[in-house]
Amino acid sequence: MNFILNPFKKLTKKQILLYVLLAFCFVASIIFVNNNYSFYERPIAKVLKTTLVETNKVTDMHNNKDQLYTQQMVAEIKNGDKKGEQIHLTNQYSASGAYDQEYHVGNELFVWIDANTNEEGVLTGSIKNVKRDKYLLIVAWMFIFTLLIVGKKQGLFSIVSLGVNAVLLSYALDMYLKTSAISLIVACSISAILFTAISLLLVNGFNEKTYAAIIATLLATFVSLFIAYLVLWITSEEGLRYEEMQFLTRPPQTVFMAGVLVGSLGAVMDVAITMSSSIFGLYEKNNHISIKALTTSGMEIGKDVMGTMTNILFFAYISGSIPMLILYMKNGSPLGYTLSMNLSLELARALAGGIGIVLTIPIGLYISIFFVNRKRAKS
Amino acid sequence: MNALFCLAAILFLLMIWIGGKKGAKSFIALFLNFAVLLLTVLIMTDPTANPIILTLIACTIISCINLFFINEVNNKTITAFVSTIITLAILLFFIVIVTEISMIQGFGEEETEELSMFSLYLGVDFVKIGAAMIIMSTIGAIIDVAISIASPMRELYNHNLQVSRKDLFSFGISIGRDILGTNTNTLFFAFFGGYLAMLIWFKDLSYSLGDIVNSKIFSSEMITILCAGIGVALIIPITSWITAYYLDKTREKSQ
Repeated sequence: MNFILNPFKKLTKKQILLYVLLAFCFVASIIFVNNNYSFYERPIAKVLKTTLVETNKVTDMHNNKDQLYTQQMVAEIKNGDKKGEQIHLTNQYSASGAYDQEYHVGNELFVWIDANTNEEGVLTGSIKNVKRDKYLLIVAWMFIFTLLIVGKKQGLFSIVSLGVNAVLLSYALDMYLKTSAISLIVACSISAILFTAISLLLVNGFNEKTYAAIIATLLATFVSLFIAYLVLWITSEEGLRYEEMQFLTRPPQTVFMAGVLVGSLGAVMDVAITMSSSIFGLYEKNNHISIKALTTSGMEIGKDVMGTMTNILFFAYISGSIPMLILYMKNGSPLGYTLSMNLSLELARALAGGIGIVLTIPIGLYISIFFVNRKRAKS
Repeated sequence: MNALFCLAAILFLLMIWIGGKKGAKSFIALFLNFAVLLLTVLIMTDPTANPIILTLIACTIISCINLFFINEVNNKTITAFVSTIITLAILLFFIVIVTEISMIQGFGEEETEELSMFSLYLGVDFVKIGAAMIIMSTIGAIIDVAISIASPMRELYNHNLQVSRKDLFSFGISIGRDILGTNTNTLFFAFFGGYLAMLIWFKDLSYSLGDIVNSKIFSSEMITILCAGIGVALIIPITSWITAYYLDKTREKSQ
């Protein structure tokens, strides 16, 4: 019992306030998201009863076998002028669920209500989408709690920096879309500078270590972006398929380059702060350490992080295409075509990010040494 | 000349220039990872194969490549490996449930235009494939955290053989906390960069906030980011505990 109570005894007033505030936000947001029907214009229906009416086996032209089901549902409308009335919905879904799904009692769906009722005077309609906000919120809270429990203060900082960065990115995109005068690359470059400054200062505080990391991050990111741009220009983008961005009404090249810039920023920041922390750490341990010793140690540390960091980017980019790859392959597309259609941009992004990561190692090293030298000259 | 080939060549040269032999190894590991990923996807197209089990096998092989091939087999990579597998199994279980409940599998209505020429009744379970996708996108970060914690813990133990198991554990946690922020940041920006096109598109369509939040594409990508964050946080106590336990046991044995 003492083991459980002990942590509570040590709490300061500030901490208790924080916990109460957190609990309040949690409860309030859960209650809100379960009762926010009136905030939506589109009618929402909650499924009350489902009946399976038909089962069919299908085989498509590529010899893929699947089961098709048809279910009929009775649902209650939760908002709008038909609130409280019952609606009959029909849903067809497959066992594989690539584009459809089975609905269960309690699911909330956005629906279109048909203008006329059927012969029995019951409302009918069709399903538009699923109300997913409550699931998203619960996962978000689980994320917040896990980070806070494991990371305590640092966890809080990373949540705050994520939130600030997300708002900033959204604002930058708004600016870009509203005023066509600024190009996307400029908008993202300005945000990149802000992202870097905010994330690194928030986590590591105002000191020379952070300044060195910020300069190294920005330098390495823009150099790698320049290299990527140069390569695309020289090779006239051969081998890159922009079809997956064809829905955009904007030049996909620019969007792609902006994606490269934003995407590699986090990894480059990580490497930059690792480099500057270790160089400053070595210097603080031994004020008389030679530049040569610093360079050797720095390079060793760089070698260690290089592989895993490129891996992080690689998996984060490539994995997103897995469902699409399967769809193409199951539809009899040749492997080469499938890969170039779905992975060329992701691979290019991962490779450009990797170049940024590797470049950060010497850039971060020499900038940190420069700051160390300045510090040494001062003292 | 092919742009991808050119970028890969530049990356390869830079890695060798900076990292020497280890750089070359890291580059080869990237290729091996790609091969494993591709092979997994190829096997997944078989409806009788269970994507979850396939993913666990693939993750084990990928962890082996990144821990044992780039570094070598020793007690720090072994504990990092065990912790990675345990975390992935827990996370996978959690993600399957989340994917199932929130109905984020497969493709969104925004993608229908692109999909109209394809048959969608494929007989493979897209819920499980969706979960596999989420877990695969975080595996790089999870391995990174595991090795970043296990390695200094072993250093501490080597410097001070008397250090207690509890101290080892809290040392691991404190290292984990320091890298938690930068690691989640790395993942977030990587995902933001990948989703940039989608975000611009949502804004172009002038979707309302409600439309965006409830759409399948957006919620599946948000859930991917959040699950990645949960995974990166979860590996910290697991690696610290397992490494502390393992080091404590080896000390008892040697005494």
